[in-house]
Amino acid sequence: MNINFILNGKPVWADVPADTTLLSVLRDQLGLTGTKEGCGIGECGACSVLLDNRLVNSCLTLAAQAGGRQVVTIEGVCGPDGGPSDLQQAFIQFGAVQCGFCIPGMVLAGEALLALNPQPNRVEIREAIAGNLCRCTGYQQIVDAIQATAGSRQEKNQHV
Amino acid sequence: MSETQFIGKPATRVDALEKVMGTAKYIGDYRLPGMLVARTLRSTLPHARILEVDVSAALKVPGVLAAITCDDFIDYGRFGFPVADMFMLAHQRVRYAGDGIAAIAAENEAALEAGLAAIRVVLEELPGVFDPKAALDPAAPVIGENPWDAPDLPRGNLLVQYTVRKGDPEDELARCAVTLDEDYSTMHQEHAYIETEGALAVPWPDHTGVVVYAPCQSPFINRSNLVRTLGLGEENVRVIQPQVGGAFGGKDDLMYQISGQVAKLALLTGRPVRMILAREESVIASYKRDAMQLNIRLGADLSGKLRASKIHGVVDSGAYASITPFTAWRSSIHAMGPYRYDACHVDIDVAYTNNGYSGAFRGFGNTEVCAAIEQAIDELAFRLNQDPIDLRLMNCLRPGDTTPHGQLLGDDVSLAECLEQVRRLSDWDRKRVDFSRPGPDGATQPGLRKGIGAAAVFHGMSLGAEGSDFAVGTLAINDDYSLTLTSGLTDYGTGSRTVFTLIAAETLGLKPERIHMPRPDTDLAIDSGPTVASRSTILGGNATRETALRLDGLLTQAAASLLGCQAAAVVRHGEEYIGPAEEPVSFELVVDHARKIGLTLTSRGRWNSPENHWSFENGQGKPYFAYHFGAQVAEVQVDTGTGKVDVTGFWAAHNTGTIIFPQGAYGQLYGGIAQGLGYALMERVDFDNGYIQATNFDEYLIPTALDVPEIVGAFVEKPFSAGPYGAKNLGEPGMVPAAPAILNAIFHACGQRVRHLPANLERVLLGKDLRKEGSSTACKLGLGLRETG
Repeated sequence: MNINFILNGKPVWADVPADTTLLSVLRDQLGLTGTKEGCGIGECGACSVLLDNRLVNSCLTLAAQAGGRQVVTIEGVCGPDGGPSDLQQAFIQFGAVQCGFCIPGMVLAGEALLALNPQPNRVEIREAIAGNLCRCTGYQQIVDAIQATAGSRQEKNQHV
Repeated sequence: MSETQFIGKPATRVDALEKVMGTAKYIGDYRLPGMLVARTLRSTLPHARILEVDVSAALKVPGVLAAITCDDFIDYGRFGFPVADMFMLAHQRVRYAGDGIAAIAAENEAALEAGLAAIRVVLEELPGVFDPKAALDPAAPVIGENPWDAPDLPRGNLLVQYTVRKGDPEDELARCAVTLDEDYSTMHQEHAYIETEGALAVPWPDHTGVVVYAPCQSPFINRSNLVRTLGLGEENVRVIQPQVGGAFGGKDDLMYQISGQVAKLALLTGRPVRMILAREESVIASYKRDAMQLNIRLGADLSGKLRASKIHGVVDSGAYASITPFTAWRSSIHAMGPYRYDACHVDIDVAYTNNGYSGAFRGFGNTEVCAAIEQAIDELAFRLNQDPIDLRLMNCLRPGDTTPHGQLLGDDVSLAECLEQVRRLSDWDRKRVDFSRPGPDGATQPGLRKGIGAAAVFHGMSLGAEGSDFAVGTLAINDDYSLTLTSGLTDYGTGSRTVFTLIAAETLGLKPERIHMPRPDTDLAIDSGPTVASRSTILGGNATRETALRLDGLLTQAAASLLGCQAAAVVRHGEEYIGPAEEPVSFELVVDHARKIGLTLTSRGRWNSPENHWSFENGQGKPYFAYHFGAQVAEVQVDTGTGKVDVTGFWAAHNTGTIIFPQGAYGQLYGGIAQGLGYALMERVDFDNGYIQATNFDEYLIPTALDVPEIVGAFVEKPFSAGPYGAKNLGEPGMVPAAPAILNAIFHACGQRVRHLPANLERVLLGKDLRKEGSSTACKLGLGLRETG
């Protein structure tokens, strides 16, 4: 079947069998490999993407469900200059990255949270990333990075 | 230590940018034209004789291009160190449910499925052995026949035995005022790297060689296996490590088999071949942390001074040796904990079973024994009515002490400082008292109880007397004045490439941004042994420093020539070189001049670890050249109505020597503690008659961000003389004491002593399991596993 959606701000289409997952379309059809598969059953969050600004596991989302909607993957997250966004920069600065396999999903989980709740406390941050497993970091520096980004965005907004 | 420019300062992980942008390439992200997919047919039986494997029908399936068995490899693909008991695909027998039997390369997934289904396999089931103690019974079915190829060894399932011997603990124990005699056990643990195993082989155009992209830990061992089992020259096999999505010790043996299979399939088809394991297949096929049963006897006098320890452990190696002989040796050395004893005996027996197989996992045998001995010490403190940290301080190893192994310790020992620091940070003394008082609910009422517990660790650095211990690094200056640094030790998320880059930058007085480390590659780097045992920072770091010192020597010579002075007169300011005339010259000018006067701007440095030795006969020696020390405190809240445990606080102080890459060091510490929390409370690979019960993250739970508390980490930075810039290693020890600290806190909270890990609901609530877990029919053997026979 033909599926059309907006991927990272640009319209795309794919012709795939009806049971194809969004993850498979992204990785295998469209070649965007930043979205990872870790478990295939929606438990690890490595395949997280934003579907109409909401965090979803793309391994559990049929491609057809994305039809006509906005999908954002890690390839669509960057700063105004095309370099890292403030959140991605914070991940680097706070040492939140080790093996890196969960990081695309973590960055999107962080963005999804900050869009809904610009000033989360650390428990709220932990709740927001609890669907994204990381085996390397113990999560603390990831929480640090998201919290610091929330703080700096708040400060920026106050100055505007 | 003098002021540093880069070491210990905030730094950026060398590959962090590509990882946050999502552009870092993991093995699953590679796409090549004509690339075939591959999969392994795996045994559904835990122990069976292979009567027949026939792949001819599979080869007739449209889209299947090649099918292989052990017959396609030299010597059936036999490999393994220290015991060569594994094959690229099973030979004659399958020894665990999940053992690979045949492999196929096909154009697509559908052809792959059809091809696997067409393979004819006839298995004759053999009786299995699923308990390591039962395996040592002379009447038990034999799994590993004469594993060491040594005719004088008894046949049977005993893989190896290790001992530590000091004095006569029986004699001492009989005279001790307070004694303890308890059984402890730890279970298999899954590494649970978020990226499953996989590899991609690209054949040379003329089929005479192959490049294998393999996210394994030790590319040189991988290459050596490939060279031998494929019958190729060393120059015809190149192993490159792409990004590795987590390893923790777990990406070696199975990765070698996958590499061998895709390499052979690529050579046969002349096309790139890639295999990626689904999570379920990864869990079923891969090795685990070994399970261990321990009996610990301790004795102390009334003051609390430890007199004797007598420890017997049995290790479940599973179906193959892998490197369990090494982990078990490390278990034997660390089983008594970092304490002084008048007498100490340790006996560790390692048995083959049909429970999957065991291998390396963070802590490498020490995590297992520490979970037991640090609980035993806590129990002894309770019997003595002493504070557990006081008891540890009274008995812990200090500078100038001699260990139970007969090793005289140097002045780098700082366990007492770690204990004192973690006591202060955690507000231990107040909480021990406050939490012991009946809370609002009262101790006997259902409700929430808080507790706080401690544990200590020592961890021998690098390989120890297990093997020759060295590393090699190289440096070269490129035409654009950047530098290329290589190490034979690899970075699978640990941050070692960043550590090496900072050490090279510091030594050369050049900015880290100039220095690039290519991905680990057997064609570019020089073999430095396996990347295991927390050896990278010391071994690889020292080798990096050596090579940098040599290159720096060349550059200083060139600078002296340019400045018209003696080399000794050249001083540095930032990247500039300054002579007696005080006219600075840039690094670039010095490089240009060096080339003009004919100097070759490359270097190579090797570092050999200080001497160590061990007498396996006498159970005495100097097992490691030095030790890492640390102490951790956990605070828990136990729901005495349900047995649910929340870890509400965590403090850790570790004697790391100089910290080189602070964000990386804290990350290693936090990540290790999180894995230890999982080990303590939730992680358990259950084998039921050889079948793994939980094969994905819906049933095998690992800690989420909500399970892990805020952690306060502190480093006791006492510089270590043999370490690069005074550094010690850190990767594993952060995990080791976390579980017993949590278990001791549970005891403090609710009086339940959980000697058998993990401390799940029923064990905390009732002190025992509710039922025998699962059934063999519940095993979900899927994905590539087909009915056989």
